Amino acid sequence: MIGYILLAILALALISYVIGRYRAVASVGGRQYELHSRPSYHGTFVAAWVGIPAVLLVLVWITLQGPVIDRLLLWSLPLGTTDGMDQGQIGLLLSEIKSVAAGNIFGEPSLVVEDAAERYLRWQTIARSAMVVAVLCVALLGFVLTNARISPTFRARHGTERVLTGLMIACSLIAILTTLGIVLSLLIEALRFFERVSPLEFFFGLNWEPQIPIREGQVTAGGSFGAIPVFAGTLLISFIAMLVAVPIGLYSAIYLTEYAHPRLRATIKPIMELLAGIPTVVYGFFAVLTVAPAVRSFGETVGIPIAPNSAFAAGAVMGIMIIPFISSFSDDAIAAVPQSMRDGSYAMGATKGETITKVLLPAALPGIMGGILLAVSRAIGETMIVVMAAGIIATLTANPFEPVTTVTVQIVTLLIGDQEFDNPKTLAAFALGLVLFVVTLILNVIALHIVRKYREKYE
Amino acid sequence: MEAKVEARPVVNVQAPVVREEQGAMAAEQHELKMTARDVNLWYGEKQALFDVSLDIFDRQVTALIGPSGCGKSTFIRCLNRMNDVIEGCRIKGDIRLDGENIYAADIDPVQLRARVGMVFQKPNPFPKSIYENVAYGPRIHGLAHSKSELDDIVVKSLMRAGLYEEVKDRLSESGTGLSGGQQQRLCIARAISVNPEVLLMDEPCSALDPIATARIESLMEELKETFCIVIVTHSMQQAARVSQRTAFFHLGKLVEVGDTTTMFTNPSDTRTQDYITGRFG
Amino acid sequence: MSDVSTIDRRAALDWASPQAKKRIRRRYAADRRLQAYGIIAIGLAVGLLGILVTSLVATGAPAFLQTKVNLEIYVDPSKVDPKDPAKGNFRAIVRDALFAQVPAPETDKQKTEVTKILTSDAAYIVRDYVLAHPETIGQRITIPIAVSDPFDQLYKGVIPREVEALNWTQERTFDRLQNRGVVVTHDGKAYLKLDAYIDPAKVESGDFTGIAHESLRAYLPDVSGTEMFGMLADDAPDAIKGRVETDPGVVGKTIQVELPVSEPYQTLAKGETPMVLNQRFSPEQIEAFDALVAKGLVSSPFNWELFLNADSRFPERAGLAGAITGSFYALLVCFLLSFPIGISAAVYLEEFAPKNRLTDLIEVNINNLAAVPSVVFGLLGLAVFLGFFGLPRSAPLVGGMVLSLMTLPTIIIATRAALKAVPPSIREAALGIGASKHQVILHHVLPLAMPGILTGTIIGMAQALGETAPLLLIGMNAFIPSVESMGVLEPATALPTQIFSWADSPERGFVSRTSAAILVLLGFLVMMNMAAVALRHMFERKW
Repeated sequence: MIGYILLAILALALISYVIGRYRAVASVGGRQYELHSRPSYHGTFVAAWVGIPAVLLVLVWITLQGPVIDRLLLWSLPLGTTDGMDQGQIGLLLSEIKSVAAGNIFGEPSLVVEDAAERYLRWQTIARSAMVVAVLCVALLGFVLTNARISPTFRARHGTERVLTGLMIACSLIAILTTLGIVLSLLIEALRFFERVSPLEFFFGLNWEPQIPIREGQVTAGGSFGAIPVFAGTLLISFIAMLVAVPIGLYSAIYLTEYAHPRLRATIKPIMELLAGIPTVVYGFFAVLTVAPAVRSFGETVGIPIAPNSAFAAGAVMGIMIIPFISSFSDDAIAAVPQSMRDGSYAMGATKGETITKVLLPAALPGIMGGILLAVSRAIGETMIVVMAAGIIATLTANPFEPVTTVTVQIVTLLIGDQEFDNPKTLAAFALGLVLFVVTLILNVIALHIVRKYREKYE
Repeated sequence: MEAKVEARPVVNVQAPVVREEQGAMAAEQHELKMTARDVNLWYGEKQALFDVSLDIFDRQVTALIGPSGCGKSTFIRCLNRMNDVIEGCRIKGDIRLDGENIYAADIDPVQLRARVGMVFQKPNPFPKSIYENVAYGPRIHGLAHSKSELDDIVVKSLMRAGLYEEVKDRLSESGTGLSGGQQQRLCIARAISVNPEVLLMDEPCSALDPIATARIESLMEELKETFCIVIVTHSMQQAARVSQRTAFFHLGKLVEVGDTTTMFTNPSDTRTQDYITGRFG
Repeated sequence: MSDVSTIDRRAALDWASPQAKKRIRRRYAADRRLQAYGIIAIGLAVGLLGILVTSLVATGAPAFLQTKVNLEIYVDPSKVDPKDPAKGNFRAIVRDALFAQVPAPETDKQKTEVTKILTSDAAYIVRDYVLAHPETIGQRITIPIAVSDPFDQLYKGVIPREVEALNWTQERTFDRLQNRGVVVTHDGKAYLKLDAYIDPAKVESGDFTGIAHESLRAYLPDVSGTEMFGMLADDAPDAIKGRVETDPGVVGKTIQVELPVSEPYQTLAKGETPMVLNQRFSPEQIEAFDALVAKGLVSSPFNWELFLNADSRFPERAGLAGAITGSFYALLVCFLLSFPIGISAAVYLEEFAPKNRLTDLIEVNINNLAAVPSVVFGLLGLAVFLGFFGLPRSAPLVGGMVLSLMTLPTIIIATRAALKAVPPSIREAALGIGASKHQVILHHVLPLAMPGILTGTIIGMAQALGETAPLLLIGMNAFIPSVESMGVLEPATALPTQIFSWADSPERGFVSRTSAAILVLLGFLVMMNMAAVALRHMFERKW
């Protein structure tokens, strides 16, 4: 339906373009050089004012139509129907009405619901026709207003360019809108979560068991939302990842920038960067398929019991994924240290190793630290590896051979499959998402700040 | 092209004359510290030095002058094997320090550079504290056996570089926070902290203002009592002020070398004369 | 000449001293150590990449072949009504066709076992074929039918027909007994020569097995019973019972008995490795399968179904067509949104935007969005696109929208870099002949920057192709058994989410499929990146 309307608008715009162009040419009797703007600008100007407002109207309309009809529907119900119902029950009633309207009838719907379903269908039809009429009106209005302005002296190019600039600004604003969307959606859902669960419990509680009764009367634990074990697990796995990635990444960057023959460097660097291009779901499977069994059988031979989904295996694989981050940031940072520092050190009779460890690394430290912070943020936010290779049960432990869970694992497991929006379990995922977003944002801002400061220092 | 064709016979005629004069100087008052014989150097395919032979004497300042790109900086970097670090750099010839070939297989560039220190065109203090900058050399070479010995070396080096009075209260502050002239004196302090025998200075004043330049020049005056100093400079006035001997490089060749006063008053080569009188350069 | 300097000059280090030489050696050793660490680090990184690729190729390669039986099938008109062939009893037809080729199984249980050689989808394969070729009803047709996963792997040699009957502990335990001379052999049969206490209480209750176990335990006190009692043959207690019956006087005494060992240990005593049939197969199945192989009906051709079939619960029938289609739709939406929006935003920011708070804010936002965890974009899509706008769950449209938000920063950054690389002289030339700023950019700058923009876009699309977490959150991991119903608004799955679902499946055959799916995904990524590199080379321009 929407697709056809959009297509129709496109067609209208095209027709307007042709008419506008033709009228512009006609207005000067074919002597195009008498026009201020080229005929195509006139056409484009008309088409833009026909098409863009109409499309915007459609978008606004479909956003508002659903909520408005819902509200009307509730008002139209016989007095007292919704008395004593909470938000969730009202939602259920609405979805029942809608499914009856769609022809999926389960059991015996009440008369009230059947009536409402009928009204719902009727209003939907009205709304749809109203939209078509409104869109046509807007398009026509645009056409009439702009078409009237076509004249030899009309500055259609300026008008078109203003429209174009406006569109470009709108596109640029999408970045802000996205951030706004992230912050608002996380905040709203998280606040709804904190209405049900106290923030104190969430941030300081030691017990994370988000399972709550799905059906009434189902016997489970009450659902507790103390996120400390989840945070601790995230930190443990990220820490293991860093233990793997930092030395490997840093030492290989040192070797590649300072020791390696340029030809070796030109071969090894792209190979290392391949590691960064591999999708994380592949690493996750690699962890499950190869690393975890290997770690486990190694544990068996030395006599340490290692869980199949140990924090170590997940963290180690995450570390492999992060190696290229660390190495390319360290590489940039070391390479950015001016040659004069190296000369100064060599001239003092320092060996290459001394020059690296005593002069280059301290000088490059801010850049390297920035890279490490970005990598930490990346590790904390990494999802697929841990979803596949880490645990689901939240245990508070520092033993890397036991399974732990992470923030991202919980977000995915709480939200995967069917869910309703009014359930603390679902909302908890958004609260975790908010924490994740804020923490990674802070890390990124600090890291980018450090890196920028560092670059300025040597520029 | 014309000059080049002409140049060949002149150098050939000149060479023995130069040597003779050098010998005379040595006998007079100073020991011979470094000798270079027939040094040729290539960066990849491009030859940068052609048959350079030069004697450098202890406890005096030898200035290398010449127009930019003449090879004087390249030559000074051969004296402590700093060119080793550059990819694709080849060197042929014989350079000796106290009669020992510094390009011999058993010579360790690390040791050599501790004996032949260097100060660069642009001050390049490490991004560390003033103290750490000076302590760097003694630390890596293990010159101090205790903290107090190290303190002593740092203070003495800063004193000899004439910087101590200005920085004694802020030794732990970053060396990069000093003014340009102070930074350069810090680099000199750093270079002499390991007691080198020869001090190479590659246009040490070109990035400095006249007042800082004057300070460095008077510092050189003092340092030459202890060290053998080789300075590259593009300023003939500076060469005249600070050096006892001057060597003139042109297009990768050593054109003329001799007593500074003689060089500036009575050069034997026309090109030297042209350069000194400002006809090119 | 000052005093200080003379003294200092003499105090210079003696480089020839042994201490100095030792120190130099140590310093060079430290330098070499650092180099070695570097080489080890690079070796580890490259080696791990190598292990990753090899393990994926090793496990994934078999999935590119599929073992099939070329089954001759009689499409019996009595079982398939030509008027309504879809309702035919194809299960029976397949069964009959199979039993015609193998030694007839007897019991119903055996029959079920033998039919399990073929994929559970066999009836549907035949049905689809007959529906497509109704003229074959009443005729004999030969069509290749995939075998079920265990037999697929058996034929490819991924899993063995027989496995070692004894584990390492069991073999070693028996070795210990042999070394102690407890194992004796008469007439090619091995016995354990043990001291057994004939416990009167056990004789009373007839528990001769207990006596046998007790006597063996006395020799191996540190071994668990499960690893050890299997050593005794089933008739071992009878040997004790026989002794007690022939000589009741031994009750209450300790006597020496020779107990026969069980079958696998008999083999082991001969110095051979005892083997048993893999538990995944029954003897009837193996017999039937061998018969099929002997008749030359079994082959494993290239597995086109991997690309043509959609998902299935049976690994041997599961393919990637649904996932590839889903990924294609999502990437298409992602491209249609992010390419024009990204270019517009970049052009505005690079060419038109005044330097003010708003543009600063936009820049900061773009840089930060590039580093926001992908799962957060999933939450955004869930809350805004599904929750607020009410778009359909699992749809490629939503997936593409979420992915486009993630690709936007990449495209914007790449486009700005490409625009920056166009020299001002081009702009000045165009402005100089009276073009407006918009015309300069549309007609001159953008076309020149296009290769760079496209390269950035392809790289962004490649990243989007590998993204999994946001798609999981908006439900784009639906089970899609058929490609036909797919659309931009219909539930779908994508390549990475398909990998995730398969990796999660318990059936063994999915391990191989998952690796194969990963290889396919990596193949697409390599192609996209090569296209980007080729584009960059083709249009590389020195200004």
